[in-house]
Amino acid sequence: MTKARKIVALFCVLVLVVGVLAACGNNNVANNTTNTKSEVDTNTGDNAVVEKDVVEAPAEPLDLTIMANLHTPEVPTEKIEKLMEEKTNTKLTIQWVPDGNYEEKLSTAFATGTMPQATYLKNITSFAMFKDPIRNDQFWEVGPLLKDYPNLSKLKPEVLQNTSVDGKIYSIYQGRPLSRQGLIYRKDWADKLGLAAPTTTAELLEMAKQFTEKDPDGDNKDNTIGLTDRSDLVYGAFKTVSSWFGTPNNWGEKDGQLLPEFLFQEYYDTMDFMKNLQSNGYINQDFPVTSKTDQQNMFKNGKAGMYIGSMGDVLGLYRDAIKLNPNLAYDVQNRIAAPGHDNGVWSIPGYGTVVLFPKSAVKDEAELKQILTYFDIMMSPELSNLTYWGIEGEHYKVSADGKFADTSGFDSGISDRDVKPYQALEIGEPATNGRFEGVFDYDVKGKAEQLIIDNESFLINDPTAPLDSATFVEKGAAIYKLIQDATYQYMLGDIDKAGFEAAVNNWKSQGGDKIIEEYNTSWANAK
Amino acid sequence: MNDKAVENMYVSKSNRRSETFREIKKNRLIYLMILPGMLYFIIYKYFPMYGLIIAFQDYKPYLGMTGSPWVGFEHFERLFTDPMFWSIFKNTLILFGMNLLIFFPIPIILSLMLNEVRITKFKRTVQTLVYIPHFMSWVIIVSIGYVMLTMDGGVINELLVYFGFEKINFLLNDSWFRPMYILQVIWREMGWGTIIYLAAMSAIDPQMYEAARMDGASRMRQMWHITLPSIRTVIVVLVILKIGDVLELGFEHVYLLLNAMNRNVAEIFDTYVYTVGLRQGQFSYSTAVGFFKSFIGLILVMGANWLSKKAGEEGIY
Amino acid sequence: MVHDRTLGSRMFDIVNYTLLAIIAMITILPFIHVVGGSFTTSAELAARKFVLIPTDWSLDAYRFIFSTDTIFRALGVSILVTAGGTLFSMLLTSLMAYGLSRRNLPFRSTMMFVVIFTMLFNGGMIPTFLIVQYTGLLDSLLALVIPVSINVFNMIILKSFFQNLPEGLEESAKIDGCNDIGIFSRIVIPLSMPAIATISLFYAVTYWNTYLHAILYLNDADKWPVQVLLRQIVVLATGMNYDSAEFGDTPPPDQTVKMAVIVVATIPVLMVYPFLQKHFAKGALLGSIKG
Repeated sequence: MTKARKIVALFCVLVLVVGVLAACGNNNVANNTTNTKSEVDTNTGDNAVVEKDVVEAPAEPLDLTIMANLHTPEVPTEKIEKLMEEKTNTKLTIQWVPDGNYEEKLSTAFATGTMPQATYLKNITSFAMFKDPIRNDQFWEVGPLLKDYPNLSKLKPEVLQNTSVDGKIYSIYQGRPLSRQGLIYRKDWADKLGLAAPTTTAELLEMAKQFTEKDPDGDNKDNTIGLTDRSDLVYGAFKTVSSWFGTPNNWGEKDGQLLPEFLFQEYYDTMDFMKNLQSNGYINQDFPVTSKTDQQNMFKNGKAGMYIGSMGDVLGLYRDAIKLNPNLAYDVQNRIAAPGHDNGVWSIPGYGTVVLFPKSAVKDEAELKQILTYFDIMMSPELSNLTYWGIEGEHYKVSADGKFADTSGFDSGISDRDVKPYQALEIGEPATNGRFEGVFDYDVKGKAEQLIIDNESFLINDPTAPLDSATFVEKGAAIYKLIQDATYQYMLGDIDKAGFEAAVNNWKSQGGDKIIEEYNTSWANAK
Repeated sequence: MNDKAVENMYVSKSNRRSETFREIKKNRLIYLMILPGMLYFIIYKYFPMYGLIIAFQDYKPYLGMTGSPWVGFEHFERLFTDPMFWSIFKNTLILFGMNLLIFFPIPIILSLMLNEVRITKFKRTVQTLVYIPHFMSWVIIVSIGYVMLTMDGGVINELLVYFGFEKINFLLNDSWFRPMYILQVIWREMGWGTIIYLAAMSAIDPQMYEAARMDGASRMRQMWHITLPSIRTVIVVLVILKIGDVLELGFEHVYLLLNAMNRNVAEIFDTYVYTVGLRQGQFSYSTAVGFFKSFIGLILVMGANWLSKKAGEEGIY
Repeated sequence: MVHDRTLGSRMFDIVNYTLLAIIAMITILPFIHVVGGSFTTSAELAARKFVLIPTDWSLDAYRFIFSTDTIFRALGVSILVTAGGTLFSMLLTSLMAYGLSRRNLPFRSTMMFVVIFTMLFNGGMIPTFLIVQYTGLLDSLLALVIPVSINVFNMIILKSFFQNLPEGLEESAKIDGCNDIGIFSRIVIPLSMPAIATISLFYAVTYWNTYLHAILYLNDADKWPVQVLLRQIVVLATGMNYDSAEFGDTPPPDQTVKMAVIVVATIPVLMVYPFLQKHFAKGALLGSIKG
């Protein structure tokens, strides 16, 4: 008995000792961080040597590892991946990274030199983090090469411009509608009260007031409010309303100088508008701490009648709401403006994710060209549709006019598993990659899609998107909290204009002044 | 004890060394038992510690630790001169104090109560039920908190109105943040906390209770004079370990409760580092803040250990 | 056992039982909410403020998560990692804790300090990743176990339990001719079952909850434990990634799916405790000495 346990103990020691020895062995080989590459690199390295000439799809399959964001509950089945490999003559390895921890995985992979050949960055924020390494030559520049590829050359130059660093292009992008923002409201309530769709902020306020006070649901109880909002100054109501008041998008020009939005009178107008909603009870009182789920619940269950945010949300909202109240009707509306202001709505820079090619994994330009060839084929209409919609006849059908993809009648569960995750790999957007747009069986959703396109005629762009400020990268988010907090405090009546100005001064002294200066320098250089 | 001290005075230095050597030899099997664990700590804990040097560098991942420029104490200076620093420091200490003074005794009381239960089925059921919330993530706990406390039809506020009181703005009021925080900690963790104490109590000789009963000691007195002293060592060890954890207050929890209206009381080191550091890839700065936290923790643990030894307890090292 | 039946004692019992029942009821609320929410529709969750018992029963959420074998595979991985990890950790931890519990051991304090230091200072994610890589654990389930095999907190608790054992036991065993390992395996372990059970539970729960290491160290999604799936669904259900334009038109998973996956991922680990409870019975230690 004792002997047996002794052996177990000794075994344990041995295992660890062996572990250490193994550790030392590897250590010598891969001591230098920059040399630590995954096996995949070496493989592709070999391939790169074999195929020097790579404008055509190479005969020998390319070994390609991709890191991408997983935005669905589960990783996909391999069906689509097999087809992609076949059509692009590639041996694909996709490292899926769960959404909630993408940034940790990304920065660990980068710092340890284990980033794969093609790395999708999840969003604009993570892209901003990589501007410094990009400047320091850690990633391949692709700008001059794109013109050689029939599909990649179609990528929109203005969006590429937004992804540029010091005027050079290092990435290819996945497109996004420039602005989805607008109002969703209870059409049945508005009809009952004889209200038309609001076109001015005054009408918007009136709608919120009547939805709160005039018992729109007709149950003789004071249990409704106008607007439902959440703890998000950007994707909640605030920023969109601020556009309607004519506030610039993050930064704007005043007297020949770029200044942050909160130095504009229009920003105060917006805060006053929201404060008015709050103090009159036309908005949920706890909006500074309300989650998106709770906000949407209020709209679905008939407590609130207005929702400002992404107009595309209407479909998801409607699906649940109709089960609770079969008589309910929603409508969407854009083109709302304060008196004396033109229509306007803030926009994003036109891309969601971008793909970078780290030099630690992509050995030489020949290999880079091979990888770009892969992405070029992936951006063809055929593969874009495969990536986004799946296999025709199995996951979707093409509408009679040959312009739309129709998924009705197909099991959405199957396409969730087979196709949805791959949508994260799309390059470009329907206008450039020829992918079908979808058709919707809920016509308000169709209208929302129309209005999203309509929004493009009066966009308010962020002038700092292609500009740079080192202080902003270092401290921007930290000191922006001062403004964010003060904005909420002002709307809830905790501080007045003087209090808000004090917060702004605080922002300026903690680095804001430097940010203004740096952006203006960068702006002058770009002109 | 005394004898040994006297003896030691007469033993010469070299003798003592050879005695130590003899002790080591005598205990060689013991060292062998410790060895695997020690190796683990050296390989997976001490080797990576070179990473701490980036607190003194302007670390860039692509330059590596060997290539990044040294900046001395610059990051620490930035931390100490941050206008928020003292407020964050204070908030962190207050939440820590609440954890230690308010939360810490509760599992002890609860396990004393459970220990008095004689119906085994009841005891096991309650034990199992109270430990379940530990497995609910903070997201769930906080969202339930919201549903109960919101001004827009929350259960508690509806009740207040029903009984003729004014609604209370729990969520947007900085004076409610701390009570809310500690109540949620208690709610989630008190049952989990009893497990160690119940294990310690299972070692108590039942004959001691019977003897006490013969002497006519009340149940409260039995708890006070038998149960509590028997778990004293465990309590002391846990207090010291808890103090070492001083700045680990549950990042996720505080972050979820944090909002524009309570930041002045709710911002702690972990939430601060999250916004300034990780989200912007500032490895060096967040490492420096972590280093500072660890340093405070080390001082507190050493202090607490010293105190407990002074008080005649064993301490943890 | 003689029960005392004085009035005071009975009053004490009444108060005690009532209080415990109330506490149990309050603490179980979140779980009932989650279980209730998993058996209903997302419409009902939107309509009612705080669902405990659904009025509109539905199994859709479970149908959704069980529609693929992912959750079964993930549960399998979790069970494997939890069982194997707990065994391995207990072996290392109890050996070390016992060694360090010996009062006269030279350099004991130093060794303890070396261990405690790691509780406070750590090198951070990147150097740890590199060590895991150098020791060849990347993409292996061992990466979820070996780099965290000893938890300092657990080790110290176990050590202090060992220290509380009556000292005479060891002496008498030595006279009987046992060496240190024999004493440990034949006397100390059987006498410390409550402590062993407690620390095993702590380890089991830690291993069950592991997810960040899985994401960092394992590129192969087939090896992900169930917590990765759980986190993923909880994060997606907030609907935040839709906002920041990270993703197009995929609606977030239903809230009911979130609840269901929490239930499925939690039940197995909840069942561990009741099994261990017999080791916590009053006088378990004494019983084992006499028996």
